[in-house]
Amino acid sequence: MINLAARDIGHHLGRFVFTGVGLGLLIGVTLTMAGVFRGMVADGRAVIAASGADLWVVQKDTLGPWAEPSSIRDDLYRSLAGLPGVAEATNVAYLTMQVEVKGKDVRVMLAGIEPGALGEPAQVIAGRPLLRSHYEAVADEKAGLALGDTLRIRRHDYTVVGLARRATSSSGDPMIYIPLKDAQEVQFLKDNDSLVAERARTAANPALNRPGVPGLLDAVLASQTTSHNVNAVLLRVTPGYPPDEVKAEVGRWKHLTAWTRADMEDILVARLIATSSKQIGMFLVILAVVSAAIVAFIIYTMTLNKQREIAVLKLIGTQDRSIAAMILQQALALGLIGYAVGQISAILWAPFFPKHVLLDPGDAALGFVGTLVVCALASILAIRAALRVDPADAIGG
Amino acid sequence: MTTDKDIAIRLTGLTKTYGSGSTAVQALRGVDMSIRRGEVVGLVGPSGSGKSTLLKCLGAVIEPSSGHIELGGEAIFDDRAGGWQIDDLRALRRDRIGFIFQAPYLIPFLDVTDNVALLPMLAGMSNDEARTRARELIEALDVGHRIGVRVSMLSGGEQQRVAIARSLVNHPPVILADEPTAPLDSTRALAVVRILNEMAQRYGAAIIVVTHDEKIIPTFKRIYHIRDGRTEEEAGEGREIA
Repeated sequence: MINLAARDIGHHLGRFVFTGVGLGLLIGVTLTMAGVFRGMVADGRAVIAASGADLWVVQKDTLGPWAEPSSIRDDLYRSLAGLPGVAEATNVAYLTMQVEVKGKDVRVMLAGIEPGALGEPAQVIAGRPLLRSHYEAVADEKAGLALGDTLRIRRHDYTVVGLARRATSSSGDPMIYIPLKDAQEVQFLKDNDSLVAERARTAANPALNRPGVPGLLDAVLASQTTSHNVNAVLLRVTPGYPPDEVKAEVGRWKHLTAWTRADMEDILVARLIATSSKQIGMFLVILAVVSAAIVAFIIYTMTLNKQREIAVLKLIGTQDRSIAAMILQQALALGLIGYAVGQISAILWAPFFPKHVLLDPGDAALGFVGTLVVCALASILAIRAALRVDPADAIGG
Repeated sequence: MTTDKDIAIRLTGLTKTYGSGSTAVQALRGVDMSIRRGEVVGLVGPSGSGKSTLLKCLGAVIEPSSGHIELGGEAIFDDRAGGWQIDDLRALRRDRIGFIFQAPYLIPFLDVTDNVALLPMLAGMSNDEARTRARELIEALDVGHRIGVRVSMLSGGEQQRVAIARSLVNHPPVILADEPTAPLDSTRALAVVRILNEMAQRYGAAIIVVTHDEKIIPTFKRIYHIRDGRTEEEAGEGREIA
């Protein structure tokens, strides 16, 4: 038996392919949106994995250090390191800020780390990790920096000594690693004018500048101009020791909050990007509906244009199921072309997106099935119209 | 002498009423017709006289209100026996009735051969066999040189010949031709009628040609005039076509 759908497609090949390409671009956008979401999840997980920590100790009752502000004293790590089951404890500071890279403003997450300790970038692809205590940086390759570049952050210049890969924040901003002391200064210290004004205000306060207490004012000023806070302490647990027990210990004795990897994944993936995922979900639904409407409209129009032929086919004995199959096959063919174009488009344009777009094979498979289902559903209207065509329309007026 | 065996199609007291009550329209008011195998008859009448309705009833596209239709001696419609006597009307149309329309109405996305071969394929014949049979007919109708060409590339006369081939390909006992010469000039119109006569003779089909084309009416040996839903039979001139 002749495949009527294939012949009809062949007859209008140009129009059909162009329509498929148009639909494909829409499917490409849909797959990319899914990729953006997957990228956010992957970035969130990558941040967690890259830190190498088993537990994040943060300010009590906060979701820090990334999802909520958290500030704790930087000497706490010593007592945390003494807890049973803790193999390593390290201070870290995180700060999202705008830096100037080669004349352009780039949004980055600044990470203050102790060289050689937890929290370092997992993959340094060029140069070396941080070794000195001041004024050097390791940047994610997406920040646009090269080895040897100088980067101005607040009052100081930093030399880029290493480039890292897949070191982005949970929101996809490239990370720049600098020594912890520098990060603390960047995060907590004020500019010179503010410091001068603050010193004057403190000196004018009789309670802090008593004539009979020499050294009090200097001590107060010193405490104001040095920072002893960090955002979190990263803990590595002794192999075999349950992180949940350490977490419970921290909560019970240190009046701090500790998050395990699973907790942190829940915070970064489920909570922090929950609104974004709903937003993307809405986009996906709208795009699916728009795609379905386009396929339905095209197939319906194609069917209406064939009414006379369908009447003739029915009159000469073609079964309804053959006519329905012809329309369904055309809708599915349109979906196949659209899906292929969409997949190729998404692969081609994904690297040009500023944030990580992860095209997941599972999403691709789901998109393939979804496209075919949407196309099949979209053909229902046209099939109904075709089945209503009266074979008598082929005869007379 | 004509025997019952020679009768391809017989209609007795066929009526068709559209609607009901005060809005009812009686399109056919008791049509009697009888056409032999190999015979080509004209069905002539003004617009609105019931030509198309009669054709649709004969083509098993609409159901008559009453009467009797016999095809090759077999009752296919009998109001006293409950209406259609055949369950699968599509198969009846496919296998036992050929259709030629005012315009060729070929399937534009099929080539010449497949437009003709589609019917036997629908009837279950293998693609190769159906195409062989289609090509034989296409050759017989002098469009063999256009085999494999898209139907949109054919002239009007060529398209109508392909449509005739399609109507004949399943060797139906009856062919219904609805103004088959309407879009053609007189030379081509007469050529189509000549072909219909030859095909009727060759394949033994009874052909009913609905027309009000003055050029071809004199060629029929027998003509049914239809007016206000009733038919009157008269002998035609049966003029030879050069």
